[in-house]
Amino acid sequence: MTIDTAALPVVDAMDLTPQHRALLRPGELMASRSGECHRLPRFFYVVESSAVAAETQLTPHFSLWEFLEVDLYEPALLRAYPRYIPCAISVLANALESLRAALPGPVKIAANGGYRSPSHIGSRSGSPHSWASAANIFRVGSEYLDTEERIVKYGEIARRTLADCWTRPYGHGLGQADDHLHLDLGYVTVVPRQYSEAGR
Amino acid sequence: MRPSPTVVADELDARLTAVAERLPGCTVGVSVYDYLSGCEWNFNGDRWFHAASVIKVPVMVALFEAIDQGSYALNSRLAVRNRFLSAADGEPFRVDPARDADGQVHAATGRTMRLRELAERMIVRSSNLATNLLIGLLGVDAIRGALNRLAVNGVELARGVEDDRAFEQGVINRMTPNGAVALLRAIVGAESISPESSTRMLNILFNQQFSGTIAPGLPDKVRQAARVAHKTGDISTASHDAGVVFLPGRPPYLVAIFVENGGESRVRAEAGAAASAAVYECVAAAGESVLR
Repeated sequence: MTIDTAALPVVDAMDLTPQHRALLRPGELMASRSGECHRLPRFFYVVESSAVAAETQLTPHFSLWEFLEVDLYEPALLRAYPRYIPCAISVLANALESLRAALPGPVKIAANGGYRSPSHIGSRSGSPHSWASAANIFRVGSEYLDTEERIVKYGEIARRTLADCWTRPYGHGLGQADDHLHLDLGYVTVVPRQYSEAGR
Repeated sequence: MRPSPTVVADELDARLTAVAERLPGCTVGVSVYDYLSGCEWNFNGDRWFHAASVIKVPVMVALFEAIDQGSYALNSRLAVRNRFLSAADGEPFRVDPARDADGQVHAATGRTMRLRELAERMIVRSSNLATNLLIGLLGVDAIRGALNRLAVNGVELARGVEDDRAFEQGVINRMTPNGAVALLRAIVGAESISPESSTRMLNILFNQQFSGTIAPGLPDKVRQAARVAHKTGDISTASHDAGVVFLPGRPPYLVAIFVENGGESRVRAEAGAAASAAVYECVAAAGESVLR
């Protein structure tokens, strides 16, 4: 069975439990490493179970589950179902679907490389992963993106294919990557129709 | 005549000296603790050896201690990523799949594995990648802290495995045979390790897929009845084996057999098996004196 994102319930995270709000920090301003401030997402899809995650196709080649696989560095409360993922995930999935069409094989997103909450221990402040607008691609077809040649090559294709796409340069230092291709679309937030952004 | 522990110790010392002398260039270290007689013996027991893959045992012990303390759950998932920072210079390095005895963890790169799966692969197939992932999770200092709490001396964990730059700078994981036996005693009966964790660790060690030297050194009939929960360690200059030997009708004995030389692994394996044979005979003799 395939579930369409249109069937996923949406929640204003301001209505979640205090424990969830403390971890997701909806609507809070968060500073990035370079000092700009961005408001964290407030509207999330509700994912009731792992089956729903696996059966929800965001696009023909990307299921919701691929963006939800995190490890124990994500707080246990956010790993337990129901889980929440920012509505911008649909925008990211559509971008990746376009990218996939320009690549020679399936695009694989690493664990912790889709949506990570701002409370994930591996998330630096202001990481677009916390907006669900970034992906770490570790494999394209049978090729692992763990060499400079491949990271540069696929990064160029991503930037050429996707408007407003930024890719992390190859390297071993801060802000660089040497075992995956990080791409993001900036700080994308999606507010579904019929939801108000008025304060609480 | 019943052999006294001192007589057994002298006999074991003589037998192990003979093993070492028969194989020039080999350094043999052995430590034994017998739960039946309560006796402990050693031969070069406090000599430091490169720990090779026996260092994976303290990582497992620290993991289960952390699980007992509620820090993690056995079913918790950890991302599999082949990227680690060298203890020498903080620069990244990778575990070469061609030098890793286990391919299963490498095959999971980009996904997650459960902690119990990683612990199992680290011991049973000696997965270097699983080892570094678990060291990365726990932290070198926290593993050392666990060993201190368990009063295990003779084990020095300095870094992850396959960290060649650290090796070149002399930063190595070291262990003494007595340290290995102290670790095994912690697994079997430390107060701060729960009985469930103790059983789980022994079951992982029972599933060891490398033969090592302890079991091959036992007499044929004994080997058929014995169950050995153990961890081997093999590098180009060392062949080690440390384990718990369960024999029918008696409590187990613990043994660590460390062999170093610059030559062939076959020579080290022969020395290790000969040492195991000597240990078995002495343990059996000491046990007889208790049972009579």
